[in-house]
Amino acid sequence: MKIVQLNRREFLKSSALAGGGLALGLSGFAKLAEAGGESALPPYLRIASDGGIHLGVPSAEMGQGTHTTLAMLLAEELEVEMSQIHHIETLHHPDFKHPTFREWTNSAANFQITGGSVSIRAWHLPFRKLGATARELLRTAATRQWNVPVAECRAVNGRIEHSGTGRSLGYGELAGSASRLTPPENPPLKSPEQFRLLGRAIPRWDTPVKVNGTAVFGTDVDLPGMLYGTVKHCVVCGEKLTGVDDTRAKAVPGVIAIIPLEDQAVVVADSTWAAMQGAQVLTLHTTGGYSDLSDESIARQFRSDLAKAGVPVAHRGDPATAMGKAAQVLELEYEAPMQAHAAMEPLCATASVTPEGCEVWAPTQSSDFAMMMAMGVTELPPEKIKVHTTYLGGGFGRKVEYDFITAPLVASMVLGKPVKITWTREEDTRHDFYRPPFLIHMQFGLDVHDMPQGLRAKLVGPAVSRRWQMPPPWLEENGYDWVVTIGMFDGYNLPNRTPDLSKAYAIPNLQVDFVPSDIQVPTGAWRSIGTSHNTFALESGLDEVAHAGGHDPFELRRKLLTHNPRALAVLDRAAELASWGKPPEGRFQGMGYTDYLETYQVQVAEISVSKRGKITVHKITCVADCGQVFNPRIAKRQLEGGILYGLTATLKGEINVQNGQIVQSNFDDYPMLKLKDTPEINVHLLENHEAPGGLGEAGTPLIGPAVANAVFAATGKRVRRLPIRPKDLV
Amino acid sequence: MTTLSVNGQQHTMDLDPATPLLWALRDHLKLHGTKYGCGIEQCGACTVHVNGRAVRSCGITVGEVAGKAITTIEGLSPDSSHPVQQAWIEVDVPQCGYCQTGMIMATAALLERNSKPSDRDIDRTITNICRCGTYNQVREAIYRAAQIKEGA
Repeated sequence: MKIVQLNRREFLKSSALAGGGLALGLSGFAKLAEAGGESALPPYLRIASDGGIHLGVPSAEMGQGTHTTLAMLLAEELEVEMSQIHHIETLHHPDFKHPTFREWTNSAANFQITGGSVSIRAWHLPFRKLGATARELLRTAATRQWNVPVAECRAVNGRIEHSGTGRSLGYGELAGSASRLTPPENPPLKSPEQFRLLGRAIPRWDTPVKVNGTAVFGTDVDLPGMLYGTVKHCVVCGEKLTGVDDTRAKAVPGVIAIIPLEDQAVVVADSTWAAMQGAQVLTLHTTGGYSDLSDESIARQFRSDLAKAGVPVAHRGDPATAMGKAAQVLELEYEAPMQAHAAMEPLCATASVTPEGCEVWAPTQSSDFAMMMAMGVTELPPEKIKVHTTYLGGGFGRKVEYDFITAPLVASMVLGKPVKITWTREEDTRHDFYRPPFLIHMQFGLDVHDMPQGLRAKLVGPAVSRRWQMPPPWLEENGYDWVVTIGMFDGYNLPNRTPDLSKAYAIPNLQVDFVPSDIQVPTGAWRSIGTSHNTFALESGLDEVAHAGGHDPFELRRKLLTHNPRALAVLDRAAELASWGKPPEGRFQGMGYTDYLETYQVQVAEISVSKRGKITVHKITCVADCGQVFNPRIAKRQLEGGILYGLTATLKGEINVQNGQIVQSNFDDYPMLKLKDTPEINVHLLENHEAPGGLGEAGTPLIGPAVANAVFAATGKRVRRLPIRPKDLV
Repeated sequence: MTTLSVNGQQHTMDLDPATPLLWALRDHLKLHGTKYGCGIEQCGACTVHVNGRAVRSCGITVGEVAGKAITTIEGLSPDSSHPVQQAWIEVDVPQCGYCQTGMIMATAALLERNSKPSDRDIDRTITNICRCGTYNQVREAIYRAAQIKEGA
């Protein structure tokens, strides 16, 4: 049997490099200006004749509430109620290249993406401006119809009203004439005191379809004549397929075709169940692979690489002298294992490929990456490809990848019908781009007052960006990879930026280095990226510094952040709300602080530990200053959800590798936090008018050290590796 | 031929009786509100009612449920007026939403048997997995649903 060879790696490299970014050749797409024939508004905002608003947004809705918040931003300025928003979809559009990724990379990273907790930060002003532009066009259209001065007309609740005569016209009635006007350059935006919607807990726009079962996720795409399939990957990391024995698979009723690819076989059938059964009895013949790879071999490699010099992440002062003069040096090592994303919706995608064109329906965090994949597989030009982003049943960084787009494209090309591919949970768990394992070595130099004057840290682990098939522009020749160093004084050390350490802990002498130590297990972006392992190390390390010097961990952080009033405010409020230092009898507290994503945040965990080492987390207090808040309920729940995502990685399972294979496969051997394990969580936001900080990931990295520090308070045992195992505490 | 009674309608299908109910609902009846999450009865995303009891439909075959009354999220109410759905809307529970229909079906069955569940009852019964971390809102909505059901 012939293995379908795709030249996609080469394709992706060349398209990524052309023009220093993602040169997708989108010239065939409708541009904002060209859309003026029918409407002066860009095609992602349509006001129908019934006044209903149809909105296309750049960000994928994966639970973070971005559809609702973006619609609120528009509706606020447009002067409509949320009920007038009839349709919201994530639209693949050239105007939607992510401004923050461009800003971070001097425009080299030029793609539509949902990640990095920067949807609202990037799009809040453009969406307000879009609403204001439409409002002003509608006002002008009305004044022309009535022949009255613009100042006498105002927009109220989806209508333009004339103050003098009491006349009014609905937006639907005005949309046609408004669309023939020239949009104003700088329409006035409302001041925060005028907000009707922003700042309020407006119900999520997507709740109704998510409680009646009609929300269409990636798994739910349904096309006429569609076939169903699943994938079966080579089990050993790095293995390639040489052939298959599909005799038994083809004997399964309903199985239609087995299509072998480079490292997986696609099984297509007349139902998903038939395809999954076929995959189960399909035998893969393989070659190569790293079958001697294991947790132990990775640990040995990291240990050996720890001796290497590494590439600089952060440097200030004179760390060598500071260490030499230190009254006490604490030498600490922390480890974080791999974690899978384990989104509730397993990976899936649907494609329909014909000689004339291609359509893809996918729960993707990047429609541009899905587009690239479709271009690479079909060799069609971009104007013949359409990417539809469905609701995502969780993303967490996994669905920013595009490996799962391949199988349906190939299967549809081979079979000439639309094909929906759904991965089994086992495939999803075993073929992830995992949170990278890391070894972090730190030396804190303390002065005679037991205050840290110097920190030398070395981070050893894979440069995850290098594994991505398309090297992102922030990955440097020497292996420096911002994605894994963030969170350890890296201060957004991106190629075009001077690292900003002005808000970081006032440790005057710093040397942070990263030793790229690549492993053969695919690693990627896991909710909170490098901050996940680095915050665990740094915030636990500071707790050790505090205890070594007899400082209260809260007071120590306060002393190190006196130059940062926003940090002090969250520290003080958290200490007050959590009754820091005064836990109930039998309970113990631990805390952590981060400024990840320009959200200043403290978490305090209150726990107890049984004689058998079982940890019960009773209460978590989270205080955050994330600047301007547009929907406080959504904002708080992002933090709460992030905390629980991090708590699973703190208390439950991990991903192991033995004989080159991932050990875990499903929720029975890779357990998740459940309702019964969920503590009381109190999230408080300190609101202000600062620029919005990120929230989608911010809650995740801090809970690990907060709980681990509480475990130390309870047991005197220092947790230097997550997840915390009861046997380590007895 | 297998005959399934789903949401009050009879469906006769040419299916292997060993087919999990989940896939009959999703691929054959196009009732996509019931989700595939794990296939081994661990996560509860595929929860439906069989004769009023919450069942994880990935772990029961069409042969086993033939002739029994099956209710999916689509049949819980025609207009999201079921007390559990009302409570879910009021508390605005879902984030990504993928697990929520299973959570709602599990809760609806719980409240049929136990109109005033305690925290402990909820902990024991609602063992569905949510990765977005909506658990505290789920608990709040369960209490609210119990109130709505009582007419409060």
